[in-house]
Amino acid sequence: MWFRRAFSVLACLGILVPMVVIAGTGVTAREAVDRVAIITPASRSNQGWDQQGVDTLVAVGEERGIEVEVVENAGYDDITPILRDLADDGVDLIICHAAGYQTVCPEFAASDGVPVVVTENPGAVAEGLVADVETQAQEVAYLAGVMAALETNTGTVAVVVSGEPPTWNYMTAGFAQGVADTDPGVEFLYSVIGEAAYDDAPNARRTTETVIAAGADIVFGMGDGATFGMIQAIREHNADAGDGEQVRFIDVIGDKSDSDAADLLLTSVLFDYTGAFSQFIDDLDAGTFGSVYTMNLENEGVRLLDPPIEVSEETMARVDEAAQGILDGEIEVPAISDAGELSDFLDALTEGAA
Amino acid sequence: MTVLETLLMASVLSAVPLMLAAAGEAIGQRSGLLNLGVEGVMLAGALAGFVAVESSGSFVLGCGAGLLAGGVIGLLFGVAATRLAASQIVLGLGVALAGQGGTGFLFRERYGLNQPLLSSGMSRPFDHLDGVPVVGPMLFGQKWFVYVAWVAVLLMGLILRTSRVGLVLKATGDSPFAADAAGVSVTTVRILAAVVGQALAGLGGAALAIVEVGFFSPGMTVGIGFIAIAIAMLGRQDPLRIAALALAFGVLRGLGAALQLTSIDIRSEFLEMIPYVGVIMLVVVMGRRARLPASLGLAYHRGARGE
Repeated sequence: MWFRRAFSVLACLGILVPMVVIAGTGVTAREAVDRVAIITPASRSNQGWDQQGVDTLVAVGEERGIEVEVVENAGYDDITPILRDLADDGVDLIICHAAGYQTVCPEFAASDGVPVVVTENPGAVAEGLVADVETQAQEVAYLAGVMAALETNTGTVAVVVSGEPPTWNYMTAGFAQGVADTDPGVEFLYSVIGEAAYDDAPNARRTTETVIAAGADIVFGMGDGATFGMIQAIREHNADAGDGEQVRFIDVIGDKSDSDAADLLLTSVLFDYTGAFSQFIDDLDAGTFGSVYTMNLENEGVRLLDPPIEVSEETMARVDEAAQGILDGEIEVPAISDAGELSDFLDALTEGAA
Repeated sequence: MTVLETLLMASVLSAVPLMLAAAGEAIGQRSGLLNLGVEGVMLAGALAGFVAVESSGSFVLGCGAGLLAGGVIGLLFGVAATRLAASQIVLGLGVALAGQGGTGFLFRERYGLNQPLLSSGMSRPFDHLDGVPVVGPMLFGQKWFVYVAWVAVLLMGLILRTSRVGLVLKATGDSPFAADAAGVSVTTVRILAAVVGQALAGLGGAALAIVEVGFFSPGMTVGIGFIAIAIAMLGRQDPLRIAALALAFGVLRGLGAALQLTSIDIRSEFLEMIPYVGVIMLVVVMGRRARLPASLGLAYHRGARGE
């Protein structure tokens, strides 16, 4: 009798143990990531958001021997057909590189089971399916604001943006706070080119000409492709001004210090997605995918470009001091993503300065 | 320069690409051709003009390249719409899409991931007079091409209003059968109108790239070509009205940027609407009298009347 019972127990164990082991290996031994795709709304040559994302992923892919598939100029319409094509092609991970894809990509991941990375949507994070990258660049924009307030000769600085997405809003608020904390007497101008005018270079140029005419000699521009319209407005102004008041530009995301814009570049708020993309691929390999990665001053996901043109030692010392203050927690930089809240914030800053 | 002076000066400059493209489209519409692909033609002209200036340093060559690119597309469009009697709607949409995709591809092939910028080398012949308050920079501070473009469009308006060329063009658009009976070759006139009209649209694109912004980027026209079609219709295919409408559109668009710098608390979305609301109001006011050529968009088949 005991023999039959023992045999039954052993038989059950013989069936159950391999099942548990197989099930277990199914979770942890996912095949290594070998194909990653990135979708960008605009051209990968815009030396801005889109190019920085693609270039970084390509570099990460080369370093790790991962094949990278790039889908550019996808626009802001429904990208589900593109996602489906990529899934059919067998990519392991899709990076949806625009705040405008916040909804469609998590929905696709839920329905088709392909892991995706979204931008500025931590609420969508789901284990094994959706990870989020947060570009909290307001801290570095604050430092740019400190530099602008110290370097302006006219006492007026301006922000020109090609839209009001969260990424731009974070930086506008940080920059404005940096200016106000450094010198409340500096006039701050804010101008929006259009609702999603990321490639509207002609309008960017007109808007920049307007803020220059209003007295700004430092322009903090966030535009992607439209940025070149801002740069051309400044180049033409500086050429016409001769020895007169020169306008300088603060750029975002990509490094233009080797471009035609180098001679007017004061600094830049640089984004580096290397840490974020590497982390997501590692997570996917390890079966722990589904986190929020915040690019910030501390992990150098965002940093300030060393000024390509001459800036006083005193200014650089004040910027370094402010950076240390942020890292030590002595300076708190507001994180404002909503356009309405940003408007109220800027109004309050202006009233405070007055 | 004050904000107002900057606004006025920029409005006159920014009206140029729109005005040239709309005037070109108007020539085609007068002859009975509707080209919805102005956006693509402008992009082709912009790329051709930019490449020519970037490689030769000559703005005149750049303008020529823009004209040529537009003219070649106009010739293909004209032949397909007349001799082959292809649908003008489908052709136009094809030109728009091919222009957007094709120029992006060619730009990438030539420049890779670089974004070259042109220097502001175009001369300003009257800038010694731009010290006149308020209107000085607008009237005298412009680059030479701006004066050429405005004079060309105004002259074109006079020619179309007063010469036999204008009459023939109008006849082929309004009553091709009557024109044919009077000995006019409707097909030839329409092909020529397509070539000249789209050459002007190509020049408009070149003006955008080499005169206004100083570089090319894929999709840089951001809808100007479609606005040009609407303005050509609203302006009743008359270059003089079109010039006025293009200027009004430019001023209204610049106004949004200027108002953001005032103490008036209006959200940017509303300011962005200003030029479009302005156009809608013009449609309401002018639209009553607007009329389109009777055979606009229709292929002409000799002897097919009444069938």
